[in-house]
Amino acid sequence: MAVTTLRAPARDTRSRGRPAGRGRRRETKAALIMLAPLLILLGIFVIWPLLHAVYISFYTWSFYEAPVFVGLENYLTVLTDQEFVDSVVRGLAFTAMVVPAQVAVAFLFANLVKSVSRKTAAVLKVTIYIPAVISEVIAAIVFSLIYAYRGGILNWFLGLLGREDTAWLGETSTALPAVAVPAIWIGMGVASLIMLAGLLDIPEAYYECASLDGAGPWTKMFKITLPLMKNIILFLLVTGFAASLQFLVLPLIMTQGGPVDSTTLPNLFIFRHFTNDLYIGYSIAAALLLFAVLGAVSALIFRLVRSEKAVDG
Amino acid sequence: MRRQLTAILLIGVLAGCGSGAGKAPGAAQGGRTEITLWQQKFTDQEDAWYKKAVAAFNKAQDKIVLKHQIVPADVWDQKMKAAQAAGKAPDVYTLNYNKVPGFARTGQIQSLERLIPADKWTGLQESVVGSIQYKGQKYAYPMLVEPSAVLFYRKDLFAQAGLDPNRPPATWAELIDYGKRLTTKEVSGVVTAGTAVDMAWSTWGLQWNAAGHLPISDDWSASQATDPKYRQLLQVYQTLYQQGIMPKQPLAPYADANPMGQGKAAMMVCGSWAAGVLLSDYPKMVPNIGAAALPSFDGDPAKPTATLGGWTLVVDAKSKNPQAAADFVAWLLAGDTTLLVDFFKTTKFSKYSPRAAVADAVKNDPAAAENPWAKTIEEQVVAHAKPEPTYDWAISLAFGKAIEKALQGKDIDAALKAADAEIKDFIAKNDLAGQGSGS
Repeated sequence: MAVTTLRAPARDTRSRGRPAGRGRRRETKAALIMLAPLLILLGIFVIWPLLHAVYISFYTWSFYEAPVFVGLENYLTVLTDQEFVDSVVRGLAFTAMVVPAQVAVAFLFANLVKSVSRKTAAVLKVTIYIPAVISEVIAAIVFSLIYAYRGGILNWFLGLLGREDTAWLGETSTALPAVAVPAIWIGMGVASLIMLAGLLDIPEAYYECASLDGAGPWTKMFKITLPLMKNIILFLLVTGFAASLQFLVLPLIMTQGGPVDSTTLPNLFIFRHFTNDLYIGYSIAAALLLFAVLGAVSALIFRLVRSEKAVDG
Repeated sequence: MRRQLTAILLIGVLAGCGSGAGKAPGAAQGGRTEITLWQQKFTDQEDAWYKKAVAAFNKAQDKIVLKHQIVPADVWDQKMKAAQAAGKAPDVYTLNYNKVPGFARTGQIQSLERLIPADKWTGLQESVVGSIQYKGQKYAYPMLVEPSAVLFYRKDLFAQAGLDPNRPPATWAELIDYGKRLTTKEVSGVVTAGTAVDMAWSTWGLQWNAAGHLPISDDWSASQATDPKYRQLLQVYQTLYQQGIMPKQPLAPYADANPMGQGKAAMMVCGSWAAGVLLSDYPKMVPNIGAAALPSFDGDPAKPTATLGGWTLVVDAKSKNPQAAADFVAWLLAGDTTLLVDFFKTTKFSKYSPRAAVADAVKNDPAAAENPWAKTIEEQVVAHAKPEPTYDWAISLAFGKAIEKALQGKDIDAALKAADAEIKDFIAKNDLAGQGSGS
């Protein structure tokens, strides 16, 4: 069957009925004035610290000694540090566990909410959003109690099924997935609501037309829902990737990066260097390199899942 | 109108940025110099003692006002780095022995020799003075020492398992055997450090014991981590973990003595401070608990099994009132002994003073008998203990990771080799060679 995708005609309604040049200049000025507070704050709290961080990454320094220019040495030290490379690879593996699971669960949940009555949907929405307002610290503590080797709820439950106790956070094979679970849980609420907003934005008429054409639920999902949700999914993939690669509190509280560094995610690695090293240059260089990794992979995701502008829906 | 709007917005932004400007540190308050003390959070009893001491100091003189802040251990480093970055580091703060030389080397703390008169330095244990020195200058005033590893064991559980409650394990083979017999579903045979970070420092004594040296040479020029004698240390941890004698997941951080008090451990390795916790919080459990030194790998009880760690007070290098800060340090730690004796009393005689005058007063205090393990710990552990190493934490952590790998069942030689490579790399990248005390 063929389902037509409707595109809105490109129209510029802004300049209608106005002399183009003068009006636009005035609007630009007004826009700049409106943006000024934000731009100033961005400049002070984002751009300047970033530029300063780049500058000081070329120095070996502490807060007590005169900085010594070392050129690219900090970067070379970080890049030749196998532990840093391992932490980034581990971070990518962690995102591979967290992001797809988060998007898939959010998609299923949003579909569930869409299909139930308004009252039930309201209850479900509140329920799914609760993890988003719980701090990472609390989540880490709650899940540590769940995973506790002695007296933990998970082992107690599995014990009822006759399974031996497992050291979820104590074994290298289970620690990273065990930390990934609360990460998925925390991000699920926001992802589900965004997904639901996207789902509700698709006009019912498309589905009705498809039904008239004899399309089944799977066809509707693959031919209507998923193509029209592409931008939403892309957004969730990019933001989910950036967020999950930067988890710090969960591994810090639950495992302190162990056992055998199996949960040392990049930010925890940098944080440890920042707090333990007598000089700061290394951790700044590592943070900037992580920034580069984040940017590169986000760009790659954008390229792989091409976003489409002005999809009508 | 437009200009007015711009001006309002700019004023708003600048006002937002400018708010929160506080009083400059070190400012005089009513003619008195204000200085700050950051104290790491210890037990409630210790924190209360510090508060009492600060109040007494502020009352005892009228030139200095001391502001006191208790900082939890897990946020100490972040808070301190943030304060240093903002130029608001405290004038005086608590610091471990093993960090003193590194802080002195990087100019974070200042020499106290010119600030505290020579007569105030007399009567300090020589080995402890060695820990606070850098290039011949004293950078910290020692407050207490405490051995990092003591074996606490449950006499009642020993008896139930058919073991002699008055005979703690004398060899590691015995300790493993006893641990196996004492392990049940609810009680771990042995509770000890189980993470790389905890093992990195809690095994310093055993590292000395196993090999007769630490994993880096005295002058910090060479790694010694591949010494085959270290195999036995890693093997012990591997056996304890792999055979389920120690919990597969730490019940608590190493320094936390609660698992013993809560009855979750038949034997527990912890520092002497555990005695204070057990006596204060689990008095009913005390008669069932015995203490001993950890076994030596070759059976020689005169070899070290622990290091003497502990706390000092230091003065920040950027303090605007270093003399006032040092005056407080001298008043608290080098002056009248009454207040300090009260500290050791408060902590149930679970710590030891490196200052002869205080140590003697503590020993003669009739309340010292309250701690039934103090004598054993002093004679069997403290007497043979080594001072804490003063090299960078990264060296200790590299070895801690090797033990953790062994614990997880990885090849012991490969784990030691990896630690060796890491230590060598750190020496090279940080120019450590020749900076150690033995150079």
